[in-house]
Amino acid sequence: MTEVSGDWLLEIQRLAIHRNREALVDDASLRVKRGSLHVIVGPNGAGKSTLIAAVLGSIPFDGQIVLNWRDSGAIGYVPQTFPVDPTLPVTVEDFLALTRQRRPVCLGLSRESHRTVARLLARVGLSGLEHRPLAVLSGGELRRVLLAHALDPEPELLILDEPTSGLDESAAGWLEETLNAIKREGRTTILMVSHDLDQVRRIADRVTVLDRRIVADGAVADVLAGPTIRDLIPAGSPRWRRA
Amino acid sequence: MTAFYSWIAELAQRGMLPSDFQYPFLIRGFFCVLVLAPMLGGLSHLVVTRRMAFFSAALGQAALTGVAIGLLLGEPLNAPYGGMFGFCLLATLGMVFVKRHATLPPDTLIGVFHALTLGLGLCLLVAVTRQFNVHQVESVLFGSLLTVTDGDLALLIGVGIAVFALLIRQYNRLLLDSLNPPLASIAGGNSAFLEYFFAILLTVSIIVSLKIIGALLVEALIVVPAAAARNVSTGTRNYLFWSVVVAFLAGIGGLVISTKLLVPTGGAVVLAVSSIFFVTMAISRLVGRRRSMA
Repeated sequence: MTEVSGDWLLEIQRLAIHRNREALVDDASLRVKRGSLHVIVGPNGAGKSTLIAAVLGSIPFDGQIVLNWRDSGAIGYVPQTFPVDPTLPVTVEDFLALTRQRRPVCLGLSRESHRTVARLLARVGLSGLEHRPLAVLSGGELRRVLLAHALDPEPELLILDEPTSGLDESAAGWLEETLNAIKREGRTTILMVSHDLDQVRRIADRVTVLDRRIVADGAVADVLAGPTIRDLIPAGSPRWRRA
Repeated sequence: MTAFYSWIAELAQRGMLPSDFQYPFLIRGFFCVLVLAPMLGGLSHLVVTRRMAFFSAALGQAALTGVAIGLLLGEPLNAPYGGMFGFCLLATLGMVFVKRHATLPPDTLIGVFHALTLGLGLCLLVAVTRQFNVHQVESVLFGSLLTVTDGDLALLIGVGIAVFALLIRQYNRLLLDSLNPPLASIAGGNSAFLEYFFAILLTVSIIVSLKIIGALLVEALIVVPAAAARNVSTGTRNYLFWSVVVAFLAGIGGLVISTKLLVPTGGAVVLAVSSIFFVTMAISRLVGRRRSMA
């Protein structure tokens, strides 16, 4: 990835991703402003998670993805799904310590890791859950643990893939408040995938509508009031309609 | 080594050690178990977490073919390591490469390799048995303490130390990669490197264990200790601990059964480890029932 100067942390230029000759994302270009909360919305199969995978470097792509780091250059990531084998004996503290110590977690946690894990869990409101296996956490608890994992070291870019899907209202509300708090601190740029337009209205600074191609991009009020979004979502319906 | 074996035998004769330790082959077997248990037990819990049980089974069959190739190329019957290392590493690299690049499910692809190596191995074994007595090859198939040499023990210790040193450096990344590859990638772990790295460690460990466990049964000591440990573990620390303990108990139990009942070591070890698995399963059920009643 090339480094550029400017007020943008992330710039995607003419991104194209193909699988079995089918275009999952085609000719997508967008910029994510430093310090903003930028949301990508779109119907199922629009290529939102695929685009995120390209930004993370997990899949091959054509085009360019440019990250203009100024600070730590750290990426935090909260995946959309995190399937855990129900018999896997990995505890919350094991998981959070995996990237925080060189010693294998199966040989025990260092004192520093114990302190960091306790601090991270307190930050996401899960103090006392250190010894609980990942497999028995509720969806909301698991999402908080994943957020705790993504917040240390403090990321310059925090990527969340549909972080509130499957969560109840209070868990989703807590997550929105937390994201707002992170944004206010001003050190982290947030790129989030969502399918919930009400949530976009509440927390986003900018929004990109993706349907394999970028169909709209700009300030939230402008994009959500525009004709493109009305074509994709029938009035009064919470569901996306395929173009 | 002779002086060392004599000293151990003397201790056994004085009653300070079990009487079976009068025999050098049993002393060698005991030390093999001391190395095998932490090595295979340690790998075992990552094999199960990374869902590589079937991969291990396919490697066992590949080792059989490797033995046949080694013998046909003129290697000694008690140490066909060139054929085993060569063919097994080739099969491992092939399986991982195809798994990473093909669109078919991994178990289907490994099934193809499994069938291919077994078929090839059987054909080659027929050719091998024209040169050797089939009973001489049996020790490789099912494991035999009698054929383990000091050289095998030295190789096992060397590989055990190397596997431990390499695994300890990559353990956290391997575990994170098993849970979620993109998270491991962000943390600096290269998913392709980790997959090849672990597969090669596993292959080498399986090959040096064959003399004791046997090609057809080695997968049991790669999979069952972790399966048993899962029944009684609550975190990665005791998951590793119990995997190693189960592998050790199975190894010692297998040695005892093998020498007392005069049966192949591999089969005896598998019987022991399977019994331990069902005991841990029963314990898990009992503990679960008590907790639900409380």
